[in-house]
Order: sequence, then C-alpha cells, then structure tokens
Amino acid sequence: MTRRFSATPYLFLAPALVLIAVFVLYPIGAVVYYSFTSWDIVRPPVFVGLDNYQQLLGDETFWKALSHSIIYLLVTPTIIAMSIVLAIIVNRKLRGIHIFRALYFVPAVSGSIAIGIAWRFLFDRNGIINSILITLGVIHDPIQWLSDPGLVLPIAMLLTIWAGVGYYSVIFVAGLQNIPEELYDAAVIDGCSDFQKHWHVSLPGLRPQIAFVAVISSLAALKVFDEIYVLTNRTGGILDSATTIVFYLWKQAFVNEHAGYAAAIAMVLLVLTLLFSIVNVRLLERGQERV
Amino acid sequence: MRMKRSLALGFTALFIFSACGSSATAVPSVATQAPTTAPSTAPASSASAAPAASVAPTPLAPDPAEAVIPNVEPNAEIHFWTFYLSPTFDDYIKETIARFEATYPGVKVDWEDHQATFQDDLKAAFAAGKAPDVINLSVSEGWVSDYASKGLLLPLDDKVPAAVQSTYFPGLWKEQEVGGKNFQFPWYQGINVDLINKQLFAKAGIDPASFPKTIDGVPALCQALKDKANTVCDIRLTVSDLLSQMVYEGNVKPLSADGKTFTFNSQDAVNWLQMYVNMVKAGTVDNDILTTTDDRVGLLLFSSGQAPFYATGLNLIRDVKANNSQLYNNLAVAPTPLGLSGVVGKGLMGISVKASTPFPNASMALAQFFTNARSMVEFSKIVSIYPSVIASYDDPFFSASATAIEDSARSTAKDVVSHYADIVPSLPTGVNQADVNDIVLKAVEDALFNGIDPQKALNDAVTKANALIK
Repeated sequence: MTRRFSATPYLFLAPALVLIAVFVLYPIGAVVYYSFTSWDIVRPPVFVGLDNYQQLLGDETFWKALSHSIIYLLVTPTIIAMSIVLAIIVNRKLRGIHIFRALYFVPAVSGSIAIGIAWRFLFDRNGIINSILITLGVIHDPIQWLSDPGLVLPIAMLLTIWAGVGYYSVIFVAGLQNIPEELYDAAVIDGCSDFQKHWHVSLPGLRPQIAFVAVISSLAALKVFDEIYVLTNRTGGILDSATTIVFYLWKQAFVNEHAGYAAAIAMVLLVLTLLFSIVNVRLLERGQERV
Repeated sequence: MRMKRSLALGFTALFIFSACGSSATAVPSVATQAPTTAPSTAPASSASAAPAASVAPTPLAPDPAEAVIPNVEPNAEIHFWTFYLSPTFDDYIKETIARFEATYPGVKVDWEDHQATFQDDLKAAFAAGKAPDVINLSVSEGWVSDYASKGLLLPLDDKVPAAVQSTYFPGLWKEQEVGGKNFQFPWYQGINVDLINKQLFAKAGIDPASFPKTIDGVPALCQALKDKANTVCDIRLTVSDLLSQMVYEGNVKPLSADGKTFTFNSQDAVNWLQMYVNMVKAGTVDNDILTTTDDRVGLLLFSSGQAPFYATGLNLIRDVKANNSQLYNNLAVAPTPLGLSGVVGKGLMGISVKASTPFPNASMALAQFFTNARSMVEFSKIVSIYPSVIASYDDPFFSASATAIEDSARSTAKDVVSHYADIVPSLPTGVNQADVNDIVLKAVEDALFNGIDPQKALNDAVTKANALIK
C-alpha cells in the first residue's frame, strides 16, 4: 500500500518554518560566519580564520567573564530551594493568601531594567540600606556597595534570585496542587512530621517542575545581562568584577566594535548552554520516567 | 522513547540557538542608551526648562550672503541627522532648513533626529550603505575621530574656502584632526562649570568664591568638605576617554614624539593618577560616581542636594531647577578648575559630511549653514549653548546682562570657547581608541581600588597598549 503525499501539513507548518528560518537559522548562520571575521560593524567583515578563537584563549577578561557566569549558576539551586519553600508556604488555604501570591509575583511582571534601577537606589551610597545601617549604628560611614569589586556580583545574583523566586514558586504551587492529597494523609498515618511530609512527598512529586526550573533558570543565569548593565552603569563593575559572558559579548560588539570577536564569544556561550541543556533535559526525562 | 529523546534534544538545541540569537539581537535594544555625556551637554530638551526657551525668535529672512559654498550640486537631495534635538528644537531646525533651501534653490533637505539609538542607528546605516550625507557628531565623545579614522567622513580642509574656515575659532576648526585633516564644521559649544551647593559649602565654612582655579586644589577642597561637612566629592572621571583627561588635567604626553609608541607612564601621568588614588584612600570622593560612565548619575546625586559640587554644562542647570528648586536657589557656579595643560577643554558638537556622499558641496553647504554666525546666534537665544563662529559674539545678545544663573557665562563665553582646543594626539593607525581606553581604565582602577602602585599599573598598561600597534 503506498501512502499518498499530502501537502496540507507542510502548508500549516510553512509559516512557522519560514519565521524560524528567517529569524533564527539565518542569524545563527551569520553569527557562525562572523565569528571567523574581523568586523567593526560599519565596514565589511574581513575573514580572519580562527584568529578570534585564538585570541579568546589568551583573553583574561573573557575567562574572568566566563568564571562569573559559572558562579552566577549558583543562583539556580538557591532559587529552586527558595521557590519551593515559598510555594509550600503559599499553598495553604489561608484567608488572603491570593494577595501574597500576587505580591510575590510582582517582580516577575516588572521590567528587569526598572528592577535594576530600583536596586541601584537601594544600594546607593545614600540609599535606604546605608541609611538603615547608619541609623541602627551598625556602620558610621556609608558603604559604597556597588563600587566594591567583591560585592557587585553577589548583589546582582541576589537581585536575580529576588526577581525570580515569585515566578518560579508559581510553577511549584501548580506542581504541589497536582500531588494527590491521599499521599499526605498516608504520610501522616505513617507518623511523618510536617518537614518529613514535604521531604518524602512534596519533593519527589515536584521532580518534573524542579528539572524544568533548573533548565530555564540556569539558561537565564548564563545569559544574565540586564542586571549587570543597570547595576554597574554599563561598566561591568570596577575591574570587570561583575562582567559576565553576555555582558562581555555586548561590550566587545557595541562598545569596542569588535563584532567578529563578539560572535566568537557567542559561539562559546552557545556550546556552554547546549551542554547545560543536554544535562538538564536528561534530568527532565529521568524525572518524568520516575513520576 | 529514543525518538522522543531526539526530538526533545532537537527542540532544546533550537531553543538555545534562538536564545543565543535573542541575546545578540536583544542587546542592541538594551544598549541603545545614548552615550552618557553627550546628552548631558547637548541642549536636548533644555528649552523646556530654560526661561529663554519660551521666547521663540522670529524666523530669519533668507540672505544671499549666506551662500558661501561654491558649486552646490543642482537638485541635490541630502539627508541630515541630528542628535537629541527633537522635538524641543523642531521649529528652529525646520526654519533653518527652510532658509537654507531658499538660499541654495533646488537643494532639498530630509532631516531626521535620532536620540538614544543614534550611534547604533548610524553604524547600521553605514553598514547598509544608507548613512546620511550630513551628520551631527559629538566631538567631546570622540565620534568624529572614530568615524573619520575609518575613512567614512569627508576631509574638509582642501574643500572649504579658506575665508569660511577662518570664521571659526581656530582651535575648534583644528580639533579632532585625523592624519592632520579636519572632518567637522564646529557647531554648538557648552561651557563646562562646577555647580556648587552653597548650603553644603556654608556648612563646611567654605566660600564658593574660593573654589579652586586649578585641578591641584581639588583634593584639599574635598578633604575640607569631608572634615567639616561630612560629605564626599561628586567627581567623575572621563571613563570613556581617560587618555584625554590625562592630557588636559595632567599635561601628560600619551604618545612619543613620532607618535608610534604610548608613553602615558611618565612622571606626569603617575602624578595625575596618584592625585585620584590619594582621594580614594582618604575617602573624600564617591567611588561609585568616580568611575561611572553615566554623567547623569553624578548630576542626579548633585540635584538631590547630597553633593557639594559637580562639573557639568551650564545648560544642565535646568535639571537642577526642575528637580530641586530649593537647590536651584542655593546654587553658585565656578569655572571648571584648569588642568596642568592650561587648556580649558575641547569642543562639544560638530557637523560632518559623509565621505561617499554624491552631493559633497550641497552637504558641506548645509553643514556650514547650520554653523554660520546667524544660525548659531539664533540657536543661542533658545538655549544656553555657545557659537563656534567668532562673529556670533558681536551680536548684542552676548553683551546683554544675564539674570538667570544658567546664562551667567554669556559675557565670558567667547573667551572660554576661543581657548577650546584638542590637544590629544591621534592614536597610531589601526589602533582602536576603545581598546586603549579599556587598558588605561583597568590600570586606573587597579591603582584606585586594587592597591597597585600607579607607576606599575601604568607601566603594564603601556606595554599592553603598545602591543596593539601593528
């Protein structure tokens, strides 16, 4: 029996495929090509072979930025842990709990630039944090938080965690509500404490959500840019103390006008995110199989 | 299962590709903020706050004497981009274009104003071969030398009649030379001053009139302000062009006499850097402001009444007035302390012509027209900017007494502007200014915040910078 060719499914797919080809595949191809060129954006690119990749190997700032991006991944386990705790807290039938859920979600619907600016005010030399610390007598002179090379990256990570916890906790709340109540009842009959109930029932039940959040939050952490851009006033921090890989990519392309070199950095980022995603997808599959 | 896994991996890879793509494409939209010092000194939207802005001058009648560029191409249609001038100055720009078109019949001008995305738009336009014929470029930000060194701007010395060249202050015509050639018609200038918070100075028992005349007096002032008023100085390094600041403030010679090697590790350079290191060690400056790229951050701090003084353009007093009227009423103004070079500074804005324009004469005519004496006096009446043409200052407007503090430099502006000059030598061919600045910035930050000896930091930086010379 021969199957007749039908064009209908391809016609339905065509608009999406055309969009992907134009806005995803072509730019990717262009980035791959530009990574082998010397290009200052305003003049035509010049093919330089592997020069950009060779330069990357000896570029101290690149390695520093890469290490900062990897450190930034610490945000992922922190954000997962905090989001689960928050989800468990707000997953109770208490009066007005919806208001709390909405409040926790506010950072997720606020622009990252707006949040960054608000945090700049918080950590400003004359900001509210210094004012409180001075009022409490903890410090005498204001701390220059955002100009201390050791503090900028942690503050940016804190910002990312604060902004993401509400969003990810909504995912975990949805996961918690899918766990059958009978499992908790059985755990109580078995003599579990509140903590043990969540350890033995909630956490295994949330495995698919944990894997999903791990994928998207680690990708977001690797690509962090807005927070660094705003908190450091476009500098990447004193002595590149908060320069991440995407920030460095941006700076090379649009400040130093080395778009070809920036494309090579983008390729490294691509490999890195691909590796992370493969690991995370494997985890996701394993989680789904167990559930 | 295998199929499902392959699909999952495939879609993940696609997702990552698109994520990377989105990073690369989203970045410019984030990065589209205007270069931070340029808007601060541009008269952007200042008219809305400046008292003089409410008085709209009567449009000038065309004068055939303004047609000074010969052989303008008939029926030329030229494109003109300005930076941060619309909508506040729409009337002025449109009236000037109308007068130009009447002066050079047959020439048509298509005007666009670009703001936060100006640099991105212009680079994209050059890349696409659609750059405008006439472009308003910032001299102080180094845009003219940047585009000129890439061969994108028209050299003007041998094309503009000598009689026209001599109408401008010589220092302004010759600034931003690349390879010994000029690429811009000097346009509007700003007067850099220090805005002083009289209340904080009074608290410290310091008379604003005793504000330092030279840069070497600033550390002592900051120490006194800290000791007596418990406040720190709001000083910003020119982090986008530190070599330039070294030259003006420290009289540093950044290049050897033959211009082939960097020499910004001289004793003058070390002394300059040591001055800032000492202030950071003494805790008399706000570190966050010191190295920010954003001029507005320092201005905002000053406007909030928390900083004793801030170096900026007179036209930006409008921001203080709009944000803090109490401070505006307690404001004093002092000339920016002179550096060891003895040169006040370089100019602000210029108008350049694209090298590949099909209408070079019409384009030069438009650039010259906007920067001629009549046009610039009219502009000065709308906002506190100052002409680059000597004859403009003969207008009674500049001898009339000013009442508002933002106009206080009107009578002395000619003297200040006449001394503007670019004394920073061109970088060796093929060396990217941003790359050198990155190296210098790291050296400066190492010395300021990392305890590295200034001499060692600068020695290392010079070695790295020399490695950029091919």
